[in-house]
Amino acid sequence: MQRHLFMSALCVAICAAVCAAQDIRVPDSATAGAEATISAGGSGKATFYLVGPGVANKSDVALGEPIQLHANDLRNSGTYLAIVCSDSCHSAAFYVSAAKAASVTFLVHPSRVPVAQSDAVSGVAIPFDQYRNLVLAPLTVNFQMTAANASLFARPVRTRDGVAWFRTASGRSAGAVQITASIDDVSARRALQQVASEPCNLRIDGKRVSNGILVQTLPVHDCAGNVVPDGTIVTFSASEAQGKSTVDAPIKQGVAKAQIDASGNTVISAASGVVLGNELRIGAK
Amino acid sequence: MRPVTQCASHVAACVFVALVLGANGYAADATVQVQLDSKNAAPRSVESLTERSIVRDYRFAWTSMAQALELNTLDPLEGPFAGEAKEVLRQAVTSQQHSNLTREYANQSHRLEAVFYAPEGDVMELHDTAEYQLQVRDGGKVIHDEHVVMHYIVLMTPAADRWVVRQLQAVPQF
Amino acid sequence: MKIILPILLVAVTAVLIVLAFFGAGQAHGTVGIAAGSAVYGLTPKPATPQQALTNLLSDVQRRNWDRAFDDVSKSSTVTEQAFIEDWTGSNGSLRSFSSLEAFDSRPLHATNDDAQMRVRLHWTTPVGPIEDVRDIRLVREGDIWKAVWPKVVIPNVPAQVIPVTYLRWDLVSGGASDQWGSGNVDAPRVRIISMNAVDSADGAVVMGEVVNEDTIPAFVNVNATLVDGGGNAIDDESSFDKIDHVLLPKQVTPYRIDFPNINLTNVKNVRMDVKATLVPASADPVIGVMNQKIEADPQGKSVLHGELLNQSGQTVNISHVIVSFYDNNAKVVWVADGYVDRALLPQSSEPFAVEIPHSVAGRVQNFHVVVDQFTLGKS
Repeated sequence: MQRHLFMSALCVAICAAVCAAQDIRVPDSATAGAEATISAGGSGKATFYLVGPGVANKSDVALGEPIQLHANDLRNSGTYLAIVCSDSCHSAAFYVSAAKAASVTFLVHPSRVPVAQSDAVSGVAIPFDQYRNLVLAPLTVNFQMTAANASLFARPVRTRDGVAWFRTASGRSAGAVQITASIDDVSARRALQQVASEPCNLRIDGKRVSNGILVQTLPVHDCAGNVVPDGTIVTFSASEAQGKSTVDAPIKQGVAKAQIDASGNTVISAASGVVLGNELRIGAK
Repeated sequence: MRPVTQCASHVAACVFVALVLGANGYAADATVQVQLDSKNAAPRSVESLTERSIVRDYRFAWTSMAQALELNTLDPLEGPFAGEAKEVLRQAVTSQQHSNLTREYANQSHRLEAVFYAPEGDVMELHDTAEYQLQVRDGGKVIHDEHVVMHYIVLMTPAADRWVVRQLQAVPQF
Repeated sequence: MKIILPILLVAVTAVLIVLAFFGAGQAHGTVGIAAGSAVYGLTPKPATPQQALTNLLSDVQRRNWDRAFDDVSKSSTVTEQAFIEDWTGSNGSLRSFSSLEAFDSRPLHATNDDAQMRVRLHWTTPVGPIEDVRDIRLVREGDIWKAVWPKVVIPNVPAQVIPVTYLRWDLVSGGASDQWGSGNVDAPRVRIISMNAVDSADGAVVMGEVVNEDTIPAFVNVNATLVDGGGNAIDDESSFDKIDHVLLPKQVTPYRIDFPNINLTNVKNVRMDVKATLVPASADPVIGVMNQKIEADPQGKSVLHGELLNQSGQTVNISHVIVSFYDNNAKVVWVADGYVDRALLPQSSEPFAVEIPHSVAGRVQNFHVVVDQFTLGKS
């Protein structure tokens, strides 16, 4: 009986000694880009492995002494495995969290938007630390949309799972618009172009000239009063007894012009995209 | 055995081994199970074609990642990864090459939940509860072998012909 | 023995040459139509209008211009230079890149001294085979016939300076670095505004119109997939060149997608896909389409005629006319196209003609013509 007790105690002692020899203590919390220390109990030489996102290091260490983890090895947020091998291998896992937000990835759509359209503009902001780790701690992102120094939209949004987003209507005036997403002193800026909507009240005027008919539009605006961009095509059609003529003329400085060969009584109309204008009747030469 | 017959049997053996290795490559792909739950995706709901693409491309990403880390080669990372995820994995492979370490991810199972889908569809955030057998080797010696359950935050973005993984970040819990 | 084989070879060669000579130029197909192909070296005497025309066109095929012009009557008012240019084209036109592959002719009427022949010219061009039909008058001079060639009118464009003030769009690519979300420019917004799927003699056809709704130019292509009742794709095709690819803002183009040898009977759905990409473009040149009229041509076919007027200061080398035809419900019932084989000189016009299929001609109430253009040296 005593012998049994002695043997059991001896086994327990040996096991405890072995376990203590391989006891790995890892940091409770670590931050990306910050040094950390690991300790492995026991004595003698061992091989230390650090395996994690972006890292797979191997080094010789002395058991019982602290093992320094370099900041550069812990720059990526995620789960790391510390493995110590002497006679056998033992491991422990620890987590490295992201550092403070140092940049914002800001996605804005679209890059061109017609004026006065509801829910036409949307943006997504994703904060990252200086090592490009996604910052998952809730942060407040301030979204702002300005045109010619006038604020069109401003809203603070709390990130959820590292993402914040917004959606808003486009402004009523054509032109360049700045949209920013900022977290404390970190911000990202995007530009988008507000463009005139479909031509509204497309009206034409014309007169007979020596070699045909000269027809032009009145200044072409959208329904909000914005001049339609230069280069927008206006199709002029002229119908007379001898046939039909068409010219696709681009708008220049708000007006599209065309010269059409027609000598008889002519009916002229105009269209831009799917918008139709008025009709004009011009008598024979 | 006559020399010709001996040679033929060697060739046949080589072909057989190649087929088996090749089959293992396909089998590795088949062992990566991916399921996607997109009912909570917002503000945009996930289209059915997009769901299928996400499952297909995420599976391909993990298969490629496993191949890269097991064979210590960078080529498999070119297609399915972009941005920070690709950079981190490249660093991992390079570090492993230097230390003569390899990692093996076997019997993978991924349960994806789409938690954010941008209004214009240009980014999706997913939560991946992944289970796999992780084995770390130093040369030929296994130094770590463990069945793990991990949680990943994943950002995927649409590329020319597929969705790519732009961020793959492990977290303690969701 | 040694000498027999060479003699035999020469004899066989001579027989084959004679057979080829007399075999060529024989009518095949419809009686009364003389077909032509180049046979070098032997030119029969132009004792008949058909032979005279064949000789002329064979010389044109061989680009033997001196001999071809000798086949033209001296009573013609055309100069040799103008005659050659009429055949070879100029100013980088489509004709200057084309060659006459074959021709068919038939007599329209003939007397002892005067004949009218209708010839169908088959051209090989960079944009595919093109057919041209001309009526040629021939007169008898002595014992031979010669063609009377009409005066070729070459536009006389006076020297002048024409300022270009139309808008031009340039495309600037972003830098090489992949900074996520920092530098995207959205693709142009285009929309298919109509689609109509019909069966034709050659197969199924999907056609309609597409508009560029954006404020920047778009390079547009329309694809369609025919799907059966089980959701399986039967075939997918692209609009290829039956579309004006570069659309300026608010511009509308027809498109036509052909599915050869496919019937719509098994088709339950048509999946449309329009792709638009950013592209540099210019609003110049402006080409007017004048005097458009549907008429019956001498062969009795419905043809849309008109003239393209180049209102700019640059030469348009190749013009491509694409026409959408509408019924009385403004539905697109057909899309046809044609290339103008002469260059459009600045401030001048050239005629065009586009054929309307007989099956559709009766339903056409209106039409819309767009002109795509290609200018050498410009992107």
